[in-house]
Formats: sequence, structure tokens, C-alpha cells
Amino acid sequence: MLTFTIRRLFMAIPTLLFISLIIFLILDLAPSDPTASLPLTIPPEVRAEIRASLGLDEPIHIRFALWLQQFFVNEPLNLIEQWTGLTIGDGDRTRVISWQTRSPVVDIIAQRMPQTLWVVGTAYVVGILIALPIGIYSAYRQYSIFDQAGTFITMVGFSVPPFFSGVLVIVIFAVQLGWFPSVYDTTHVVVDWDSFVVQLKQMILPVMVLALQITSQISRFMRASMLDNLNQDYVRTARAKGLTESVVVMVHVLRNSMIPVVTVIALGVPQVFGGAIITEQVFKVNGLGHLLIGAIQGGDIPTVQTLTFIFAVLIVLFNLIADVLYGILDPRIRYD
Amino acid sequence: MKLRHLMLGAAAAFALAPVAAMAERGSDGQLNIIYWQAPSTLNPYLSGGTKEVESASLVLESMARFDSDGNLVPFMAEDIPTVENGGVAEDLTSITWTLREGLLWSDGTPVTANDAVFTWEYCTHPEGGCAQASYFDGVESVEALDDRTVRVNFAAPKPFPYTAFVGSESPIIQAAQFADCLGAAAPECTEANFGPIGTGPFVVEEFRPNDVITFVANEHYRNPDQPAFARVVFKGGGDAASAARSVLETGEFDYAWNLQIDPTLLAEMEANGIGTVVTAFGTSVERLHLNQFNPDPALGDARSTAEGGPHPFLTNPVIGQAMSMAIDRALLVEIGYGAGGQPTCNVLPAPALYASTANDGCLTQDIAGANALLDEAGIVDSDGDGVREYEGTPLRVLYQTSTNAVRQDTQALIKQWWAEIGIDAELRNIDASVFFGGDPASPDTFQKFYADVEMYTNNFAGVDPEAYMANWRCNEIPGPDTQWQGSNIQRFCSEEYDALVTEMSQTAPLEERGRLAREMNDMLMQSYSIIPLIHRGGVSAHANSLGGVRMSDWDSELWNIAEWYRIDE
Amino acid sequence: MFDTAQRKKLVSVNGLKMYFPIHTGLLRRHTGDVKAVDDVSFDIYEGETLGLVGESGCGKSTCGRAVLRLYDPTAGTIEVDGTDISTTSQSGLRKMRPVMQMVFQDPQASLNPRMSVADIIGEPLREHTKKSKAERLDRIYELMDAVGLNRDFANRYPHEFSGGQRQRIGIARALALNPKFIVCDEPIAALDVSIQAQVVNLLEDLQSELGLTYLFISHDLSMVRHIADRVAVMYLGKVVELAPREGLYDDPKHPYTVALLSAVPEPDPAAHDSANRVILQGDVPSPSNPPQGCNFCTRCPKVMDICKQLDPEFREIEPGRFVACHLYNQ
Repeated sequence: MLTFTIRRLFMAIPTLLFISLIIFLILDLAPSDPTASLPLTIPPEVRAEIRASLGLDEPIHIRFALWLQQFFVNEPLNLIEQWTGLTIGDGDRTRVISWQTRSPVVDIIAQRMPQTLWVVGTAYVVGILIALPIGIYSAYRQYSIFDQAGTFITMVGFSVPPFFSGVLVIVIFAVQLGWFPSVYDTTHVVVDWDSFVVQLKQMILPVMVLALQITSQISRFMRASMLDNLNQDYVRTARAKGLTESVVVMVHVLRNSMIPVVTVIALGVPQVFGGAIITEQVFKVNGLGHLLIGAIQGGDIPTVQTLTFIFAVLIVLFNLIADVLYGILDPRIRYD
Repeated sequence: MKLRHLMLGAAAAFALAPVAAMAERGSDGQLNIIYWQAPSTLNPYLSGGTKEVESASLVLESMARFDSDGNLVPFMAEDIPTVENGGVAEDLTSITWTLREGLLWSDGTPVTANDAVFTWEYCTHPEGGCAQASYFDGVESVEALDDRTVRVNFAAPKPFPYTAFVGSESPIIQAAQFADCLGAAAPECTEANFGPIGTGPFVVEEFRPNDVITFVANEHYRNPDQPAFARVVFKGGGDAASAARSVLETGEFDYAWNLQIDPTLLAEMEANGIGTVVTAFGTSVERLHLNQFNPDPALGDARSTAEGGPHPFLTNPVIGQAMSMAIDRALLVEIGYGAGGQPTCNVLPAPALYASTANDGCLTQDIAGANALLDEAGIVDSDGDGVREYEGTPLRVLYQTSTNAVRQDTQALIKQWWAEIGIDAELRNIDASVFFGGDPASPDTFQKFYADVEMYTNNFAGVDPEAYMANWRCNEIPGPDTQWQGSNIQRFCSEEYDALVTEMSQTAPLEERGRLAREMNDMLMQSYSIIPLIHRGGVSAHANSLGGVRMSDWDSELWNIAEWYRIDE
Repeated sequence: MFDTAQRKKLVSVNGLKMYFPIHTGLLRRHTGDVKAVDDVSFDIYEGETLGLVGESGCGKSTCGRAVLRLYDPTAGTIEVDGTDISTTSQSGLRKMRPVMQMVFQDPQASLNPRMSVADIIGEPLREHTKKSKAERLDRIYELMDAVGLNRDFANRYPHEFSGGQRQRIGIARALALNPKFIVCDEPIAALDVSIQAQVVNLLEDLQSELGLTYLFISHDLSMVRHIADRVAVMYLGKVVELAPREGLYDDPKHPYTVALLSAVPEPDPAAHDSANRVILQGDVPSPSNPPQGCNFCTRCPKVMDICKQLDPEFREIEPGRFVACHLYNQ
């Protein structure tokens, strides 16, 4: 398993380099201009100067090499310096600079990460916690009223987009009832019980909207996987052994059903980091999704490039984690 | 003062300034502002976006700002320099500003004339990519006469000298803070760009790019009673509808900016009685440009250029006139703009001094008249396909604009009206970042104009239209030799017009400048190469508990935030 | 031939019916039943092996599972070791599980892939006995020895074994609680021919050592002839003939049994050619819609008019020989 993991990690390096090149080329080919969002009152000469000051007049291979150097050499060195307080070399390196904000992209990402992890991460955990029991019970009582209702709700969760459900819950719970805020305050700091309640209140609506989607997805997986296993002969064996029904379902069936579900959950984790573009927008949780969409609209190529590349790394990494988990959970699979 | 006197005409539309609350500094707690497009930096010289300029206007100030009526109000300066008071040289080649006495930066150090000189150097540095460089156009030098006196020298006589250091777009920055940030180093000064030291009523407490800014009251602000608010939270994110909702329905925010949403929805929200929608009209006009050059794809690279030749029919003003007459501008306002729009027949609708009344006939739709006009000119449908022909060419146009719901509604309506006068329009919309992107390699930019008709909004900053009207000189026509740069989008060219532009650049008296601008406007209108549609204003909303808002489209909407206060209920 | 009357009945099945409902349409209305087992009665005596044979789909596996109450039967009684279990609750049944066990057809699928051999064999011990961990391990080793598995394999997982070895695990598991009665549901069908004999011999050895009673379900008539004392033949959910082994194989009564036996491959080529084969025409009718009268009337070479109207009674025509056929009803 260890050699497998290490081998896979090494194989990921050329993959990721290739991905970064593809992202760079696509972004370069895309018709976007960092000065496009400026008011038309700014004259073209000034725009040309702005573009030149962003380094856009350099040829493409130079820009790509520069990004590679900034991202893979300068940023890590800078991180090490920050952690250790040491100065490596002359300490004067250009970092990946966002065109919109003219500040280091990595710092902005670090600033956005907490919101995204709090809201999207909580939603993911909540969604999974709700989804698993629903999936298990739906499968165990297939075609029961509970199962039919669950199927209906998950269908709704799948098909209703967050820009609708988000606005709907805002209108109900924020406008009509006034229970929760409609705008997420990213500057809020939890220091005591009261501020924790405030944080909880502002998280409820976005978490609810996101968790509905996640629940829908994972409970369907759980249900399907449980159904696959419930009809297996070994379940009959377990019953023939005279085990209690709860042991049969929760130990024999569940443990086998969790194998595909756990990998699906692991593969979904990069999406947590990617944020939830629409939900973040609706509730103004200015996390990574909001950062990405803003950067795309503003033609901020370094930010888009860095963010998408980090997502690519996470996806590759969590694919590997899913594979390893599969190996751990399923004794039939061995990587040697 | 003449300028002030002349601009009073616009004042009628607005309520007079409310009585300022007699409050202590910081006594009114927190002010919540939502800008659904969040500011990405607080240095307006590095980003020309409205959101950056307006958020920075809480901190950074300039010598003078424009109030809601377009009048100049001294901010950092003691008064407004004019020829009469000797502040502007007789030959119009310099303007001398005097800073207020005892003016302090928020860090407690005094503001000096050197800061203004530095600001000029900062923005005109060739490697800096300064977004507001046009404010320093024609400035030959800026010199500090003494600690409080700054003289701006112009290379040529400047009849309207209130550009550099006037308005929120060219504020004065602190030399000490930005000393190491000149030119290519500008983007690396993140700390300074995110937390500039200014003289405004607020100081940056925390800046999160594209997310939220928190400000606290500036304890060194020149008026000891202001600002009334101790803190400002300046939140970004979401969309216009949700921003409107947070002010007008949930009351979570006190002020929301740029609420270009369905006018009926906005009116419904306002009916809750929590907040008020406010508008301010500047110079933005949604207009149609009629290509005077031939955009026929068969011409290849020569299309829409002088080489490609004139347009087969749009150069005939009769056709343009008929197209204009067929449009019901009031309906377009009702459907798409609500309080944020007014029908207009001028490309230069404001300030009042410059607004012509010669073209107001277009305000009422007249399809029968348009048909009659075309029939009279012999432009008839000779082959019975419902489309008129002009000298054998059927009147079929490609009509493009940026992708935007209101614009697509407008397109559809206009297409229908044109069909009623025998002109067939093919509609097209292009993503805004491409359309306005200016990429010389893209065929879809508004500058390339590979279409017969295109629609968008343009305006000019400040109150003086001289530079704006100069947009339509012959040598401003975009083309391959200028990398498609140039602002004469419809490719209008008239020697007579160019002569008026030159005349205006040498004329100082305001009445005379007004006459010239109106004349140029009318000349453009009667060429029917531009068909103005809607005079667009900014639409914002504030909570009813927020007092002192005097929205201006001539400057930052938040230009007088120091005077805002909480109305006790 | 056994003198059946002298022996003690261990299992007694009476009028067992197992219907699976069919739901169709948008509202999933109950529109019919699959009559997998339709009124089946038989007894199994202590220490004997009852073979249950029939074509695939005739309901023999369902019958086996229903006997152990792995299904809830629609009707009928099942008595095991003197207790009627046909309506006992599942929790009540748990107490009976040590007495009756099952060996499944597919040794791969019937073993939980995520449990080691020791866990699989030991789990019933943990559930039904108060043995300590060490005692359980001893018993696991004992059972592994009994079925001929190497003790070193105790911590391996099922997928690491061959088919024959897996079936040994399944048997060891079934034996863990010292059952009296084991249903062997086609235990050799998924195995190579070379392994089949080993497993069958193992079952026979265990029977003689431990005094087990088997219900041996199979479609392999030669294997049933080898292991069974008495044989029941099923067709479309019903037992059509039940007889001691010799009697059935030498002198089949029911036309279906005749046809079935004539299909057994004959190792002697000469006999093969001269064999008087009965070739049945047509397909087995659907158990959801069995024909009127005798279930076999659609394919029976000796069909009579009455067969198409009346379902023949399952009667004892000779001592120990039961047949459901109008031919013997005169």
C-alpha cells in the first residue's frame, strides 16, 4: 500500500504539470481582458498601460514559466519563511499577484478558506450525517412510504438549483419570519456563547441549502449500495446464523455498503474546498467559490489559474485517498 | 461663482440638503453598506472600477468634490480656485490650490503640498499602469509653492481645469506611505493599497479584497463632530436583487448601491416602508450606434474600416431618423429601467447647461411618420418581402449588444418596431467581458463593430463634456492601424464637427462652452449616426433610518458620508 | 429401504405455501402472486437425507429457505424438532437457529467479504453461546479441522480461498452451533466437478459423525442418488413425487420424474444410444400464472382430460411412496 501510494504520488507530478499547462493555455485563449470591467470613461491608452503593467505583453511561454516559478518556488519559500521566521536568500521574490486586487493570490485564498470550510464543510458533514440514516432506512424498507418520501425529497434536492432554493429560504426565513440573517457576515468572530449563536444563525440558511443537495446525492448512493448488499447471499447467511436484525443490517450490510459510499464522500471533499459558487453568491458568504467567479468575471488570470490548479491538486489527491480507502475498507483489493 | 450658478438648474430635481444632525463623532454606532460588487482594492489609481473608487472615497479625499447638483465643494482645499479669485491663471494654463489649514492625515501627520506633487508623480509614472491617468492629461507639472499651496501647470490653456485632484477618482495619497510604491513596484505595496492613509472621515480597520471592509471613524477628521458613525461595514457579494432585499425588506443594511433590477420588483420592495430608493442622473446614455462604414463580412479585414467604404444605407440620415422615430423610449424605460431611466434624445443630456432641447421630438413614438418619411424619400419595399430597399440594398441590419436581460428585452422591442417600418433586424448578444474587452484579436468587441447597429451605455466622468465630445472627431475612428483603439465607435466624420471641438478647447466662458457642446450634440443627433435611447441614472436605496444621503452621479455616491447620521425613531 | 414408520420425525412440513406478491402499475397495486411454493408437504426423519430435486426455477431453493423461515411463508406449518416455527417471530426464531442451519449454493456470495474466516465461523458462537474468546477460538479451530481447513487460514478473507475451500468455510460456519438439521441448498452447484465429490463426501462424513439430518437441494440427479435416502421431486412449486431413493430411481411413477430421470447422462455409450428418452415439449409455465388443473398438464406426455380440470391430490400409493398424478387415482 505504501509503495503504491508513493508511486501514485510521483505519477501525479507530471499529471499536475500538464494540467497547469492546459489551464494556462485555456485561460490564455479565452477572450478575457482584465480591463474590460473598468468604466468606459477610462481611455484605451490607459488600458494599454494597465495591461502592460500586468505583464500581459510578454509572450505566453515567459508568462507560464513565470507563474511556475512563482507558484512552485517562490510561494513555498515564502510560506517557509513565514512559518520559521528565517530569511532564505535575499527574501525578495515576486509572488503570484492577483490582477484585480494587486495582492498575493495565496494570501487571499488563505483569507477565504475559513468561510468556505466553515459553511460548505459544515454543510457537507451535516449532509452526510442526514444522508446515511435516510439511505440505510430507505433501502431497508424499500418502497415504503418513508422510502417514497425520501425519493421525492432527494429528487427535489437534485433538481432544484440553489439560486432558487437559496432565495426561497431567504424569502421565508429572513424576510417573512425574520429568524435568520440573509447576509453572511464574514468578519464575525466567535468569542463566547452569544457570538456562537450568531454564527450558528447566519450559517443555518446556507448550510441548509447546500446540505439538501449533498443529502440528496449521498443518500441515493447509500440507498443503492445498501440495496445491492441487502440481496446478497451473505446477508441470508447472517440471518441464518440467528443474528439480530440490527446486527445483520448495521454490521453485515452497512459495512459492505459503506465501501463505495466512503469513496464517493472522499471524492466530494475537493468540492468542499472549491466552495459553492452559487450558494456563496446568494448568501454573500465570500468564500473560494465567490473568489473564483469574481476572478473569472474580472479577467484575473493569475487568481483563476492558481485556484483551479489548487483544485486540480486536491482532486488528484483525494482520488488517491479514495483509492487507498478502498484498499483499507475492502480486503479483496490489494495494491502491490 | 459662475460655475456654481450655472449648475443650479439641475438642483431642482433634488431635495435640499437635510439639516445636519448635531451629533458627536461616533455617536450613531455602525453603518452597514452593501455593494454587491465588492471592492478589490482601496487604491483607486490601481483600479478604475466604480466600486473601488467609491469605497476609497471614505478614506481618500481630493481638493474638491462635486455635490449632488454637480457643484464643486471644497474638501481638502480652502476654496475653489477661479479666474475671478486668481486661483486660475488668466491664460488658463495653471490652477493653484490652497490646502486647508491644519489638515492632518489619519495617522496624525500634516498634509503638505508635497503629497499632491507625489500623487501626480505616482499616477503619471510610465510603468505604474495608473487607471486614472486621464485626470492628469495635459498636466505639464505639479509644483509645491509652499507647504499648503499646489500649482498645477498645463501644457496648453485648459478652459476647464478641475480635473487633477478633483473628484473621487483623483484623490491625494500620502507621499510617506506610497514613497516606495512608484511604477512597477505599485502592486507590491499590498498593505498600502489595502489600507491607504487619507484625510477622509473614516480609517480602514480591515480590508478583505472582494469581500468586506470595516472602517472606523478618523479621529483626526477636520470636522470634530463628524462622522456621526463610529464604524462602517462595507460588505460585498451577491447580486443587485439580494442587495436591494437586504435594505428594503430585511433591513440588515442601511445603504445599497447600483440596484439595476426589474423596476416593478424594486417598487414592490420599497412598498415595505423600511427603506427608500434614490436615484441620481449623471451623463450615462444608453444609445444605438449606427455604423457609418460597411461591416459586410465579404469585405474580410476591411469591414468597418475606411478601406471598406461607407455603409450602403445607414449613412443616409433619413433612414436613421425613421429608425429613431419608430422607438417608444418611454416604454423601454418602463420595462427595463423604472426610476433609473428617463427617455432622452441627446447623447449629452446633462449637466443642464449642455443639454440641448432641439431634438425632443423623438420622445414620442411615430411609426406612421417614420413610414411616411421613408416612403417620401423613395425608400420602399419594391419586391414585397416586407423589407424596404435603399438603392437596391434591402434594409437588413445586424444589431448587437452585450449580454444582459434588459438589453435583450430592448433589442426585441426595437426589432419589432423596426419591422413595422420595413427594417429587418437580426439580433446578437455578446458576453460583456468580450464585447467591452478590447482584445484586438477578437472580432466581437464593440470597437471593431462588425455589425450595423450596436447598443451600450457610455458616459463621462465629472461635469465637463469637452473630452467626451472630442470622442467623435474623425481621427478617433478605430481601425487596424490603431489596434482598434479610438472612441468614435460609429465612425462619424465631419470637418465641421472637428472644428467645433477645436473651438471648444480654446473657449473658457461657460455659456459659450455650453453653446458649443449643444451644437456638437445636435450635429451628432441630426446625422442620426447615434440614436440616444435612455438617460440612465444610478439607483441606490437607503434605510429610512439613515439621514443625510445626497446621492450624486457626478462624484462618488458616498461623497458626503461624513454628514450621514442615524435618524432616531 | 428404511422402515420409516419407526423413526422419529425431525422436520414436518405441511401445506407450505410461499407466494411472492406482484405489484404493477403506477400505484404498485397488488395484481397477482408468484407461487414459488404451492402447497408442499413432507417429513424428514432424524438422521436421514431428503433430496429435493427439480428444474431450476421450480421453487426448491425457496422451499428450502422457507423451511428455515428465511422467508415468511404465506401458509402452512413447519415443525422442526417438535416446535412449530411457521409463525414464530424473528426474535423467537433466533433461539431456534442453533438447531437448524443452511449451507448455501454460492460459497463466494454467501460469505461476507469483509470478515475473516475466524469471524465468519465465530460470529454465531458469539451470538448464541457464552464462550470466552479463547474457547471460541478453540471451537473455530476444531471446526476448521473437521471440515479439512488449515488452521493457519483463520485470519484470511473469503476471497483468498478457492471455491471448494469457501464451501468448507460455509459448512464449518453452519456446524458451529451443533445443529441437528441442515438445509444444503445446491451446495455443490457452483463447484468444479472434481471438488464436488470432496464436498459431498465431507457432508456424508459429517452426517455419520454428528448424526445430522439434511435437506439436500439439487438439480443433479446422480448426486442426489448418491447422498439421499429419500427423494422429493418438485415441479412448478409442487412436490409431484416423494419416494425412497431406490424406488424412485428404479421405478419412477410420475411422468415428470420419468422424463427427468431419462435426461440423466448415461456414462455407457451403448446404453446412451438405446436409452428411451422422454423429451418434454414446450416451456415451464410461469409460476405467476400456472395452468388450470395439474401443473404438468401442459407438457405431460400422458395427459388426460381430467388433468386439465382437476389438480391431482398428493397421495400415498404405496407405503412410503407419494405421487400427485391422476394416472394413479383410479
